[in-house]
Amino acid sequence: MPVRLAIDIGGTFTDFVGLDETTGAVVLEKALTTPRNFADGVAHTIRKSQVDPRAIRQFVHGTTVVINALTERQGAKVALLTTQGFRDVLEIQRANRTDMYNLFYQKPKPFVPRRLRFEVRERLNYQGEVLQRLVEEDVAAAAEACRKEGVEAIAVCYLHAYANPTHERRTGEIVRKICPQATVTLSHEITGEWREYERTNSTALNAFVQPAVARYLATLDQHLSGMGLSGSKYAMQSNGGTTTFAQAERVPIHLMESGPVGGVIGAKVIADLLDETSVIAFDMGGTTAKVSLIDHGHVKINTDYHLEKTAVWAGYPLKIPVVDIVEVGAGGGSIAWIDSGGALHVGPRSAGADPGPACYALGGTQPTVTDANLLTGRLNPEYFLGGEMRLDPARAEAAVGQIAEPFRLSPLEAALGILRLTNANMQAALERVSIERGYDPRDFTLVAYGGAGGLHGTTLARELRMKKVIVPAAPGQFSAWGMLMTNLRHDFIRTHVMPCSGERLAEIVAGFAELEAGARDQFRAEGFPLDRVTIERSLDLRYKGQEHTVRAPVGDGALRDARGLESVIDRFHELHDQAYSFRQDDPVEIVNFRLVGWGEEEKPRLKPRRKDRRTLAQATKGERAVHFEGVGSLQSKVYERGLLPIEETFRGPAIVEEPACTTVVCPDQEAVADRFSNLIITEVTR
Amino acid sequence: MKTKRSIDPFTVEVIKRALVSAAEQMFAALGRTSKSSVIYEVLDYGCAITDAKARMIAQANGIPPFIGVLTDAVADAVAKFGLDGLAEGDIVITNDPYMGGATHQNDVVLVMPIFYEGRPILFAANKAHWNDIGGKDPGSWSPSATDIYQEGIQFPVVKLFERGKEVRGIVDILARNGRIPDMTLGDMRAQAASLQVAAKRVVQICDKYGLETVLESIEVYLEQGRKLALDELKKLPKGQFTAEEWIDDDGLGGDPVLVKVKVTIQDDAFIIDYTGTAKTCPGPINAPLSVVLSTAKFAYKAVVSPHADPNEGFFAPLKVIVPEDTVFNPKRPAPVSTYWESNSYAGDVVWKALANVIPERITAGHFLSVCGSIVSGIDDSTGEWFFSVEPNAGGWGAGKGKDGENGLVCSADGETYVLSVEVAETRYPLIVGQFALNIQNGGHGQWRGGFGLVKDYRMTNSKTFVTASCGRNRFPPWGLAGGHDGTPNLAAVLTTDGRVEERGRFSSRELKKGDVARFVTGMAGGYGNPHNRDPQAVLDDVADGYVTLKTAEEVYGVAIVGDPPHVDHAATARLRGGA
Repeated sequence: MPVRLAIDIGGTFTDFVGLDETTGAVVLEKALTTPRNFADGVAHTIRKSQVDPRAIRQFVHGTTVVINALTERQGAKVALLTTQGFRDVLEIQRANRTDMYNLFYQKPKPFVPRRLRFEVRERLNYQGEVLQRLVEEDVAAAAEACRKEGVEAIAVCYLHAYANPTHERRTGEIVRKICPQATVTLSHEITGEWREYERTNSTALNAFVQPAVARYLATLDQHLSGMGLSGSKYAMQSNGGTTTFAQAERVPIHLMESGPVGGVIGAKVIADLLDETSVIAFDMGGTTAKVSLIDHGHVKINTDYHLEKTAVWAGYPLKIPVVDIVEVGAGGGSIAWIDSGGALHVGPRSAGADPGPACYALGGTQPTVTDANLLTGRLNPEYFLGGEMRLDPARAEAAVGQIAEPFRLSPLEAALGILRLTNANMQAALERVSIERGYDPRDFTLVAYGGAGGLHGTTLARELRMKKVIVPAAPGQFSAWGMLMTNLRHDFIRTHVMPCSGERLAEIVAGFAELEAGARDQFRAEGFPLDRVTIERSLDLRYKGQEHTVRAPVGDGALRDARGLESVIDRFHELHDQAYSFRQDDPVEIVNFRLVGWGEEEKPRLKPRRKDRRTLAQATKGERAVHFEGVGSLQSKVYERGLLPIEETFRGPAIVEEPACTTVVCPDQEAVADRFSNLIITEVTR
Repeated sequence: MKTKRSIDPFTVEVIKRALVSAAEQMFAALGRTSKSSVIYEVLDYGCAITDAKARMIAQANGIPPFIGVLTDAVADAVAKFGLDGLAEGDIVITNDPYMGGATHQNDVVLVMPIFYEGRPILFAANKAHWNDIGGKDPGSWSPSATDIYQEGIQFPVVKLFERGKEVRGIVDILARNGRIPDMTLGDMRAQAASLQVAAKRVVQICDKYGLETVLESIEVYLEQGRKLALDELKKLPKGQFTAEEWIDDDGLGGDPVLVKVKVTIQDDAFIIDYTGTAKTCPGPINAPLSVVLSTAKFAYKAVVSPHADPNEGFFAPLKVIVPEDTVFNPKRPAPVSTYWESNSYAGDVVWKALANVIPERITAGHFLSVCGSIVSGIDDSTGEWFFSVEPNAGGWGAGKGKDGENGLVCSADGETYVLSVEVAETRYPLIVGQFALNIQNGGHGQWRGGFGLVKDYRMTNSKTFVTASCGRNRFPPWGLAGGHDGTPNLAAVLTTDGRVEERGRFSSRELKKGDVARFVTGMAGGYGNPHNRDPQAVLDDVADGYVTLKTAEEVYGVAIVGDPPHVDHAATARLRGGA
C-alpha cells in the first residue's frame, strides 16, 4: 500500500496528511511545532501517525525554515561582489518613501554591510555585450578578503548578468577556489529578470539562508533515510510546485512561502474536481487571513514578492516566482482595541497561540476574534480542537467587556461588532484580489479553510454575493493536503526586450529553446524522466512606451508561424483590456520570456464516497443559540461534520463542528456534504 | 427637533473603512486605466471623497503635497454652481491655479457630486498630472515661463459632463489645446470613470446602512479625528516658533527668495503663518495657494500624527495664514508651473521652526529638492524621440536616536521609485557609470545625516539634451541640536575634453557622445554634537567607508588604531576632552 505523505511545518502546528494510494484512505495528524529542531519534529510526527516509513512512496515537505531564518535575521555572514560603481545598490534600493508622512521613516537595512560589498571591474551592456572584460585580479582580491573575514556565503550580482552570465560564472569559479568554505550564489541562477536592486537583493537573501537550509535538509534527509523512507523526497516551493532536496539546497529562497501555497494548490484541485471555473482561496488562521484568486483554473504566479512589506514599510523585494497571495492581519487571535480618538480597531496585533485569546485561559486578557466567536455561540466551548481544550466563556466576556463598556454596549453587541470589523478587513483583501484587478466576485466560489475559514467564509461570501462556499474536508490541514496534489515545477525567466512581431519569430523561438534546454537539464540533473516533463510558455508583453506588462500564454502552435504569434498578440490585447480597461494599436514589445517545466507526478485519484445509511438526525448533536448581526439570536442546529450524510441538504442557521474547524451556515443559506466530503454552502434561492 | 441617536462604534468604523476603501478603489482604478506613466508610475495623482460641505472624508494620494488639496476644488464647484445647480452625472473640471484645488495647469481636477435619493450627499474628486495641456513648451510646465498663459490652457471650474454626457464644446477645446490629444482624452476619461467607481461604492454603502446612518457616522468619524488631533496637541509644547529659509532663485536666475514662518501651538490650535515670505516672483516657482495650504497640512500631519486618518476633523485645529501677492499666494498671471521648487519649503520651514523643541518628532533638514532631471533626444538607432524624466533621491536628516536615511526621495515625493539602471540602459542611449552613495564630509553629529547619491549618465547618442533643476544648491540642509549642516545638491556636465561645469540648474544643455551628465544630491543635516557619537558607531562608519580616519579623529574625536582597527579609548577621551 503505497503512501503519499505531506508534512507542513507551520508557526504553531505541524500538519501531517497521509494518503493511501490504493484505498484512498487519509491519515491526519497534528502536532505542536518544535522550533528548535524541525527535523526531529518531522520524524516524531511520522512515528505518531503509525504510517510505515517504508511504504512512503513520496514525501512532500512544506517548511518555514527559510522565512524564519530571514525574519529572525539568523543566517550566514554574507559578502557581495558587484560591478564597479554599484556597490551601494542594496543600500539605495528604489529610494521610495512608503511611509510618506513619517519623518522618522527607516529604510530596510541591507543584509550585507557596506564593508563586505566589493566592486569588481567588469561591464556588460543590456544586450549582454562585454564593454569591460572581467578583471580576475579584482575577484581574487575580494575572495581573499572574504576568506580573511570568515565570510560564510558569497553573493555575486553583475549588471545585465541575465543577458550574459559568463562573468558571473567565471567569478564563481575563482571565488570557490580561493574561499572554499563559503557557499556561492550567482544572480543569474536566482532570476533572469532585469532590475539590479531586486535581483541583487534576491541573490543576497538566498546566500543568507543557504548554509542553514542546507544543514537542515541534510539532517532531515538523514532522519528520514534512517527510518527507512526510501521514496522520493520533495520540498514545496513558493511557485506551487515541488523540487528535490538537492535543488532546494542550491536555491533555498524558492521555499519562501512553502506552506501557504499548498492551500492554494489544494483549492485549485477542488475547483477542477467540482468543475468550478474560478475560485478564491481563503485561508484564515490564528494571526492572518490569506487570499488568492484562481481564474479559470489558473493559479497566478508573480515575481514581485516582498519580504516584510507593509503599508508603511518597503520591505525586501524578491524576484522569485510566488503564488499571488494577499495577506491581512486578521485571524482568530487578532486583538480588538480602541485608539485615543475613540475609534475601534481589530488587529493587526495578535494574541497568537501564547497567551492566546482570553477564552483559552492561558493568561490572555485582551479581547480577540476567537472570544467574539465564542460569545456569539459560533464556537462550542467543549469541543475546541475536538475537546482537547476547554474554552472559558466567562473570560471571553470579561475581555470583550473592556471594549463594550466605554460605549455602553453589552459584551454580546461588542462581540458581534468585532466579527463585523474583522469581516470588513478580510472583505477588503478579497476586493483587492478581485474588484481592484478587474474581476467580479459574483463570478467566483470561495474555498474556505484554515482553522477559522469556515467561521467567517460564509458571511464574507454573502457580503460579496459570491456564488458559493466550499469548505473542504479537513480544512485545518488543507495546505498539507494540497501539497499531495503537486508536481515538480521549475520556472525559467529571462528578460529580453524586443519587438513581438512575426519578423522576429526565429529569435523568439530561439529564446524559448534556450530556456527549454535549461529546464531539461534541470530535470535530468534531478533524475526525473524527461518523458513526464511538460513545458508551458508565456511572454510578458506590453505596448511600446508603456511600463506595465501583461502575461500572455504561448500555446504549442503559437511559435510555428507568424499567424500563431498573431494569436498570442490577440490574447495580449484581450488580457490588457481586462486588466487595464483599454487596448491600443501601438506595437507590442516582449519584456520577459517565461517557461515553466512541470515534472508530472502520478496523482492519487480522489474516490467519491458512496451514499450510505447515515441520516441528518444522526449527525445532529443538538441546538444552540447563535447570534447573527441584524437578525438577533436564533436557535441553530448543530451537526457533527464527520457524521453528515452525503447529498442531503440542510438549512441555516446551523453550525457544523469538526475537531479543528467550525462552519457557520447563516440564515437563508443551505449546506450539503458532497461525495468528496466537501461542505458546500449556497444562498437559498427563492 | 430631532434627538441625537447614537450609532454603535462598529458601524461607524465599518462605514469609515468602506468610504476609505471607496477612495482607494478610485485611486486603484485610475492608476490601472491611465495610459500615462506619470500617473501609474510616478503616482502624481490623488483621489478624495468629501461631504457636501467640502469637508475631507477619505482620500488616497501618491505624493504627500496632495493631501487635502481637493477640498478646495469641491468648495469652488459648489460656490460657482450651487448644490442646486449640480445634477446627477455632472462633472466639473478645473485646473486654474488661481482657483481652488489646483497646483499647476498640468494637474487637472475633476469633481463629481454623488447623488442619493435625489440629492447630492457627497463628492468624489480626483486630480492627475496630464502630460501636455498646451503652453509654450512640450510637456507644458516650463522652468522659463514668465506668465501663466505660457503654461497651458486653463479650465476655470466648468462643466465637463452634464447629466452623464460629455460636453462636446469643452472636450473639443481640450483636444485642440494639447500636443497629444489621444492621451489627454484617455486620461480625462480614466479620471471620470474612476469617479464613477467611487460613486457606485458610496451608493452601495448607503443602500446597506441607510443614508442617515452614513451621514451620522461621518460626523462621529470626523469628531474622532478632531479628538485624536487635540489629544496629540496636548503633548506638544505651547508657544510661538519661527524659522526662515532661502530658496536659491526664482528659476529665472534672480536673487535668493526668502521664506518665513511663525508657528503657534495652543491647546486647541496649530497656526502656521507665512507672513514675511517674499513677494510673487517673476519666474515659475510660485506656489498656488491651494497646494501651499495642502503642504501645510502635510507638515502638520507629520508633526502631530503621521499615521492618523487624514480627514477634516483631524485637520480642524490647523489654521494657515498666507498673505496675498507672495510666492506662496501669488498674483495672477504670475507663472506657477514649477511650483514644487518653492512649495517644498512650505513644509521645511515649519519643521525647522519646531525641530529644536520637539526633536522626538522631527528630523534635521533633508536635501528637499525634487532634483528633477530630463534627458532627451532623438535616438540615433531608432530615429525616435526618447524622454527620461525622473526625480533624484538624496539624504534625509538625522533625528534624536537615529542616523539619517541614505538616498530617499524628497518630501514632495512619496511612493516614488528611482529608475533601475538596467531598465534605463535598455530604454535610453546611455550608460550609467555609477549610481552610488555620495560620501561627503558633512552632516556630522551624534546621529549622522544621511548620504545623498551620485549618478553618472554617459551619453552614447550623438546629441542629447539635459535639463536639471536642483534646488538647495546654495543653501544646504540644516543641522539640528549642534549637528552639522548637510551639503548642496547639484548637476554637472563633464565633457570629453575634460571640462566640468557644475550648477544648480541646466536648461536643455546639449551633450555630445561620450559626455557625462552627473546628478549629485546632498547629505542631510546631522543631529547633536559629533563628540557625543558612540565611538563604536564611528568605528563602524570607518569600516564601512562612510567616514574617513581623519574625520573620525578631527570631527568625532575618535582615535582608531591598529589592525584590525579598534578604538583607542584613552586617546579618544583626550581628543574629546580637548574639544
